[in-house]
Amino acid sequence: MTTATDDELWSAIGDPTRRRLLDLLLESPARTATALSDRLPVTRQAVSKHLGVLDRVGLVEATEVGREKRYRVDQAQLERAAAQLQAAGEAWDARLRRIKKIAEAIERQP
Amino acid sequence: MEYASIEREIHIDASPEVVFDVVSRPEHIREWWDAETAIEPEPGSTGQLVWEDGMTVPITVVAADPPRNFTFRWTQPEGESATEGNSLLVTFELVPSGSGTTLKMTETGFRERGWEIAALEEQYREHVTGWDLFVPRIKERAEQVGTGR
Repeated sequence: MTTATDDELWSAIGDPTRRRLLDLLLESPARTATALSDRLPVTRQAVSKHLGVLDRVGLVEATEVGREKRYRVDQAQLERAAAQLQAAGEAWDARLRRIKKIAEAIERQP
Repeated sequence: MEYASIEREIHIDASPEVVFDVVSRPEHIREWWDAETAIEPEPGSTGQLVWEDGMTVPITVVAADPPRNFTFRWTQPEGESATEGNSLLVTFELVPSGSGTTLKMTETGFRERGWEIAALEEQYREHVTGWDLFVPRIKERAEQVGTGR
């Protein structure tokens, strides 16, 4: 478990603008910061900054095309993030099922 | 996709009073979380969750308003007070529904706490599998006991 990296990865996707960026890049890969900023209520500079954060934790990859960088999502890294939270959700599903059984058993006691 | 919180809702055929006791009392927490604890359902009550394999995690009660709300923080570093930013916040909201209760659970704080805790949950999930197989048998037993109360 590489905790420091994981913390950064987690906070990278915790930001709503960055999540929107990831959604846009999943919809249509290889967009530039300019193209992405047209779809978001933030400046091109802000988009570049957010893309920088996502790039550092490996959630997006940049390729230089001419003078601009084009970005795409690193699916494996994104899936890793999603899988960990899903595991936490499933742990709660199991606990809630047990809470239900226990409470219903008590309710039925004569 | 929301990465920073977990939200669940489940209907339980038991009164809010019964459900409140089950989510908040150590004798029941032992059953649904597999962990021993000595916390009291009172704000500020602090203790630990201790699993059979020795895993120990701090827990602090934030709010206890029977039979409507039970809120706690857990996973704060040992020796630190639980605050926003160093722990996960779990809220149980109990809403009367027909003759039973709708239990709403929200867990937040993953973004702040970092997601090594999510990996811890994954470990926990492996522990829990055996119990899930066992639960249906308990339900059968409970139903044989019949209705009452």
